[in-house]
Amino acid sequence: MDKTSEEASSKGKKRQRDQQPTDPQTNQPHHQIFSLEDNLSFTDTLVALRMMRAQFPRIDKVSIQPFILRSQLYSSVKDRTQVDRELESLRREKVVRIFKLNTGQDDHAIMFLDDYLNQMENVVKRLEEKEGDQVFKWFRTHVIDSKLEPSIEHQELYTLLSLGGMVKDGHISLLINAGLLTRQLIDPNMYWFAIPNIGSVLKGLSQGRKEVLSFLNRRRYKEMMLASMEKKCLRFSPLDMRFHLRDLIGSGHLKTVQTSTGLLVRVSKD
Amino acid sequence: MWKEIGDRERGILRPKSFTTRIKSNRIRTLQISNHKDIVSPHRASINSLQVDLTEGRYLLSGAADASAAVYDVQRATDYEGGGLIAKHKCLFVVDKQHEHGHKYAISSAIWYPVDTGLFITGSHDHHINVWDTNTTQVVMNFKMPGKVYRTAMSSLATTHMLIAAGTEDVQVRLCDIASGAFSHTLSGHRDGVMTVEWSTSSEWVLVTGGCDGAIRFWDIRRAGCFLVLDQSHSQLGRRPTIPEHSATNKALTSKSLSSGQNLNAKPRAQQRKLANGNGTKQSPVGRMPAKGSLRQRLHPGMLSSLDRATAHYGAVTGLKATEDGMYLLSAGSDSRLRLWDVESGCNTLVNFETVRLQAGKPIQLATSQDSALVFVPCMTAVKAFDVWSGNTSQTFRGHYEYVNSCWFSSQEQELYTGGNDKQILVWSPPRMKDLLRIGITGVIDICS
Repeated sequence: MDKTSEEASSKGKKRQRDQQPTDPQTNQPHHQIFSLEDNLSFTDTLVALRMMRAQFPRIDKVSIQPFILRSQLYSSVKDRTQVDRELESLRREKVVRIFKLNTGQDDHAIMFLDDYLNQMENVVKRLEEKEGDQVFKWFRTHVIDSKLEPSIEHQELYTLLSLGGMVKDGHISLLINAGLLTRQLIDPNMYWFAIPNIGSVLKGLSQGRKEVLSFLNRRRYKEMMLASMEKKCLRFSPLDMRFHLRDLIGSGHLKTVQTSTGLLVRVSKD
Repeated sequence: MWKEIGDRERGILRPKSFTTRIKSNRIRTLQISNHKDIVSPHRASINSLQVDLTEGRYLLSGAADASAAVYDVQRATDYEGGGLIAKHKCLFVVDKQHEHGHKYAISSAIWYPVDTGLFITGSHDHHINVWDTNTTQVVMNFKMPGKVYRTAMSSLATTHMLIAAGTEDVQVRLCDIASGAFSHTLSGHRDGVMTVEWSTSSEWVLVTGGCDGAIRFWDIRRAGCFLVLDQSHSQLGRRPTIPEHSATNKALTSKSLSSGQNLNAKPRAQQRKLANGNGTKQSPVGRMPAKGSLRQRLHPGMLSSLDRATAHYGAVTGLKATEDGMYLLSAGSDSRLRLWDVESGCNTLVNFETVRLQAGKPIQLATSQDSALVFVPCMTAVKAFDVWSGNTSQTFRGHYEYVNSCWFSSQEQELYTGGNDKQILVWSPPRMKDLLRIGITGVIDICS
């Protein structure tokens, strides 16, 4: 099914010229041909993760490796318990790493381990000239390898890092400044693992969510066809509409209804 | 249903399976009752509901205007609509006007588990009152250091009559009705305790959920808790799988088995974590030397207070143990509902599709008789989830405002829910009698 032919049949030739610049998938041509309706459901968690990683939007300002939100998985795989369990076994096998995000209730980002290590390399390269760069090596070999949970206690961090060499408090501040760790607000002794350089993307995530929800809420019947929604461009978020729609459908703020003309997206009342 | 009766008659179906089949069919057709109505005298939100455990006949409700009322749910006080709708008015109400009544909201009202002669109410005015039902007088009064959020008494207890009280204070207090004094306090939580439940398998085990997000299991005969549930300890399935790499893990598993459930020593807790990881790489760190000096200063039973594991990312607002005592359901203000395996202390990772749960108040969950369904108040609706798969089985929409508590009566297969809209709604399966009567009158109309 060709996307351009679909557009030509429904809207006429003129639409094509408007759509080309907004389409961000210039490096994955064979994924362009499926519309959002077709790739809204997958059968297996790992397949879903790989496909969503391939469909991650390319952001020009920040170089960031693809990550997937947990709510996106819930929208694509039917059985949520199966998703949770498969994610847990993938995490234990060190295929993926899970991070808790600070954008709202219980948001988790899933990143493949290789992508995370690449991201860390990119960030550490820039800080290489300082003398504390030993810490990053120790962090990578001792902490990331053995601690698979999304959070770590201060004492444990200290002991794991000391396996590499003499650790000072300044070293931990270096890790926090690089964005690899963040302090927990409720407990001063615990740290969350974090994805470095992700700040602007997270801001875009929460603003994009608000924008999508307010756009639908402003409409008279608080609903819109999925096909026309995916063509909209978001002003405040570098992530594309498909990313946000999957996230909002999975977290329950939006729901999809099958109609005779296609899928309809509606704001769900609790 | 007629087929089941026929099978039972012929002896193909056993009596127990016959009853469970009829009961589960009825539970699947629960809807807002068209023949039963409870008239609530309360003028504020209803915080707590409980049907007595001995007869299953009297419903006790506690509300935010300091009133508690008892209703008979089996016999109606009067009938309306030509005898079709049964109205259940309250048998009595105790409120602020009562000389020893509560001054502020009642957060929890429970029956004495042995008989309906006594009931216990806990209120935001820092008092727990024990009332005599027949004379509606306060028999005993306990003063707490903070607002009382939940009170609980064990239905299995034969040797003690302790009321466990969860308050704003970090300590859980046990009040003894027999002596009228506090028997002891349980410390370990780092913030107020919002929910308290006794275990359904042991009369000595108490489960508490705190505003710090921790769920602790206490054996009241000892100091300190013996288990703190950690949401990152998970198992993939109803019961933990048998470890495959038994050769490498043999030393670890034998050590953890010998220490049993006692997580009161940090190094053992570490090893237990590794054993539960099911074959993950052994961490080279097994001891934490810096903590040694700290450990010496604390009583070994109190080491559990150092364990800062959380079960939820917010406060724990509801707890419910299954009938067999093997699983525990917990609801948190992070809008998640989790199912825990009590024996291994792990999260079974069943995902219940809850979008939002009430955060500020404790909520009361209910389970159906064989614990296959759990009824959870989700904002203005009550949702029934299948416990093992997490799928939403039914949604009950009827309240105008947030629902605070629900109670399932397995004898009648009826669900009672109370919320902020001051109403107690009854959800019951449709009556066969009504369907037949409507059928007959319909025929008469056609003839005449």
